[in-house]
Amino acid sequence: MKKKKTNLTPYLYIIPGLLMVLGLVYIPVIVNLVYSLFHLSSYSSSMRFVGLDNYRRLFTNDTFPIMMRNNIYYCVISLIVQVGFGTFLALLLESKLAGERFKTICRNIYFIPSLVSLTAVGLMFNFIYNPQLGMLNALLKNIGMANLQQTWLGDKNLAIFCIIAMSQWQFTGYITLLMVVAFQNVPNDYVEAAIIDGAGPVRRALSIILPLAKEQLLVCTIITVIGAFKLFTEVYSTTVGGPGNSSQVLGLFLYQNAFLHDDMGMAAATGVLIFIITVTASIFQLKISRSGEV
Amino acid sequence: MKKNLKKTLSIGLAAMMALSLAGCGGSDTSATPAAGDTAAGGEASQAAPASGDVKTIKLFHRFPDDPCNAFIEKKIAEYEAAHPDIKFEVTSAQNQPYKEKIKVVVGSDECPDIFFSFCGEFSERFIREGLLMDLTPYLEADPEWKESLMETQMDEYTTADGMVYGIPFRLDAKEFFYNVDMFNDLGLEVPETWDDFIKVLDAIQASGVVPIAEGNQDKWPGAHYLGALNEQCVPDEVRAKDYDPKTGEFTDPGYVEAFKYYQQLVPYMNMGVNGMTHDMARLGFTNGQNAILFAELVEITNIKQENPDMNWGMFKFPVIEGAKGNPDLVSGAPEGFAISSKTAYPDECIEFLKWFLGPETGAQQAAEVGWFNASLGVDEGLTDPSLVSAYEVIANAKKMDIWFDNALYSTVCDEYLTQISDITNGDVTPEDAMAKIQKVAAEAQNLAQ
Amino acid sequence: MSTDKYVLKTRIFKILLYLFLILLVGIILFPVCWLVLNSLKTNQEMFLDSLALPKKWMFENYITAWNKGLVSYFVNSIIVGALSIGIILALSSMLAYGLTRFNLPGSGFIFILVLGGMALSEQVALVPLYKILQALKLYNTRAALVLPYVAFRIPFTMFLMRSYFISIPKELEEAAIVDGCKSWQRFTKIILPISKPVLASCAIVNLNHVWNEFLFANVFLEDKKLMTIPLGLMTFQGDLKSDYVVMLAGILICSLPMVLLFLCMSRQFVRGLTSGAVKG
Repeated sequence: MKKKKTNLTPYLYIIPGLLMVLGLVYIPVIVNLVYSLFHLSSYSSSMRFVGLDNYRRLFTNDTFPIMMRNNIYYCVISLIVQVGFGTFLALLLESKLAGERFKTICRNIYFIPSLVSLTAVGLMFNFIYNPQLGMLNALLKNIGMANLQQTWLGDKNLAIFCIIAMSQWQFTGYITLLMVVAFQNVPNDYVEAAIIDGAGPVRRALSIILPLAKEQLLVCTIITVIGAFKLFTEVYSTTVGGPGNSSQVLGLFLYQNAFLHDDMGMAAATGVLIFIITVTASIFQLKISRSGEV
Repeated sequence: MKKNLKKTLSIGLAAMMALSLAGCGGSDTSATPAAGDTAAGGEASQAAPASGDVKTIKLFHRFPDDPCNAFIEKKIAEYEAAHPDIKFEVTSAQNQPYKEKIKVVVGSDECPDIFFSFCGEFSERFIREGLLMDLTPYLEADPEWKESLMETQMDEYTTADGMVYGIPFRLDAKEFFYNVDMFNDLGLEVPETWDDFIKVLDAIQASGVVPIAEGNQDKWPGAHYLGALNEQCVPDEVRAKDYDPKTGEFTDPGYVEAFKYYQQLVPYMNMGVNGMTHDMARLGFTNGQNAILFAELVEITNIKQENPDMNWGMFKFPVIEGAKGNPDLVSGAPEGFAISSKTAYPDECIEFLKWFLGPETGAQQAAEVGWFNASLGVDEGLTDPSLVSAYEVIANAKKMDIWFDNALYSTVCDEYLTQISDITNGDVTPEDAMAKIQKVAAEAQNLAQ
Repeated sequence: MSTDKYVLKTRIFKILLYLFLILLVGIILFPVCWLVLNSLKTNQEMFLDSLALPKKWMFENYITAWNKGLVSYFVNSIIVGALSIGIILALSSMLAYGLTRFNLPGSGFIFILVLGGMALSEQVALVPLYKILQALKLYNTRAALVLPYVAFRIPFTMFLMRSYFISIPKELEEAAIVDGCKSWQRFTKIILPISKPVLASCAIVNLNHVWNEFLFANVFLEDKKLMTIPLGLMTFQGDLKSDYVVMLAGILICSLPMVLLFLCMSRQFVRGLTSGAVKG
């Protein structure tokens, strides 16, 4: 082999990127693990070793079950709506029933919300949900259903679902577009062969198109699950966890402990928890997809 | 092989460093137009003592909205013109981000020389870390300056051991604002006791108007009600003990009572209290949909902007007869500036604050922004009756009681605000709410050590 | 008969499909229209009835919003975005090239290692990164945004590029090897030019992320002069006073550029993604 000449240069391609990832992603994560064993604040230089106390305080915190519940709600609903419904929508957009131009316009419109910054969408929905001047209550009143008016973000039982709904509004089109792209990659001959075999549209979708786009589906699922446990900006720009603690999530809890409650150790412990959840979920999904492949 | 690997690695490392340098360099040069002065400022502040030419003072405040921001900028420009050796570098942030940001910078080398800091626990945590400069010697050295400042307000910027750590920029207190026309139409008198207050609220509600405008989405407006109620329901010494994170317990029954009084008010408030911000709820008051608003004196400016024709008045928080607390307190606190203990120019900073927070600038500030600083006599030129009455509220206060959310240790405060929010929605009983607060307070005793 | 029935059935399906897709368009666009409508009112009007038409069209709200410093937020976002994207694309494509073209020992491990970065969330690294940046004196500079953005976006970008590079036939390069081209030349003269579609897609996906990023920007920046758009928007929300209609105008102004860019380039964008995902 011509290895002699090339065994030096290949690493030059790899090392810069690798070092960036190691230095600014992995090292902070490891440092974070260390911090989680200390009591420290952002402005004082002293650190006090407290062992696993931060974890104890995290898991016994009254907010902990609420946060976990909210993150899981977000995750499950996003999987159903963004990935599930988004994929269904992509199938509709790739079906031959509607005109090409019309479908392209629809697809682009669905994608637009994901181009708007999270804070902009958060501020916007703050208005939409506003009980006094918001769009939702005004609409309900105008169509004669004033009795359905709600406080929305101010209601303990609704707040987190309002935030979740906002995210679905924003990101379903994103997943749809990614899936459309994957479907366009399915070789036409396969689909045509299936048509000749007399397969209806439903069967074509289930047995030809979806299996061939499996990898993309997996990527979308992983992105969605990780995103659900990273959730921060959506809540920060709307309820900031309220009313009470009802819409608190892990990401915001971490942030508030780090920069509001002078409790970096607790923040780091929360970070470790997020880390464990996202990594486990990703590995789990990869495993499932592998076993399905064989 | 191994040698080769080593070589490759070292070359790779070098390449990486070169690349990252290029990256940083790139970002730095491109940053020049906007960030250039920041960087230059930082260097200058270190180089200046040696060369002695321009001294750069960093100032960080939380008033980015006009007219206040414009006023600050104008005044600083004036000061710079009069003192060619001093240059200011001003940054600002909104209230909530400010509270987060200042904690990030205050312990670092980037710490501003002069910065806004709430009085009470918010500043005292910095004092525990030795981050704030002790202003007491400067005040002792200049008795004239010391005497020109309102004593009740300076008390709030003094620790229990007598260290003065800040000078007020604006004075503030919470009062009930009411729609005078609406009260006249219904033949209502301004209530002085709690029972009268409830009667007034009933009468307003009976007339078909939602009595109180309240928006608690940001959680602090509710805390101001509770702060005022705690003053009346819990004896001063008990509160002082509980508000100190090292001894806080919150077991006094008065706290539960205060929650119960608050609960009494909730049915009179507009719909969706927790779904609205305070300023949005204020629009309900200024648009005549609500009759009463619990608001800060500094909001007078906003009220006048939103509805210049409105005929409104103010009354003090009604007295709860027979309660064990202190009914004479005025809820509210001065808000002012502190100096970093790390500053290279302590004397220059003091000089500036003497002027910036002094009577002359204060009088202009009162006229242009509608806010008062703590210098005596800033009200002399005032003609606007609403501002005159606002000034009287503060000038007549025997003792202030600082904002509840500034008085508490951060985790306790967070829990308290959470419980107030839940009580407003009717999701928790006062007893349960206090039990949760007690638990967090007990934990805070460990953390605050 | 049966074909008639079939045609009828398809037609009904077709109508339902159109209705459904239009309904979804409505759900997406209605809030946006409401936003536009209210951005042209006064605060009082919006408060009293947010569905009514404005009495006087307040176009000056947009001017007020623009004068609140949007220009500098835009400039900052563009600088940070351009720098980040440039570095992300350079490092990721090199990484993907190195991993796919040399049969290096351990390249599988490195691939998994880098890809693993995708699962690590920004929050986990937030606190230590902030301390690291402070120690490096990078806190409150643009580099404090660019470097973390690059590090966190490399994994996904590398992943997209790797699958594209694998699909490039080896023969293309082999001819060049015979001609005596060094690997760097092959990389810049052959691989990168034919990878334009995937580079474009990666650029857009990353630009969207960087353009909208809030968490890092919020923590690592302090100076108003350095703030990016998402951060700048949050400053519209005052403490005791927010100017709602101006805030709405600001939201619209800030959102427009990315939307327009996408609408102009949507065809290329989709094509790039499509070819990027082609597998060998």
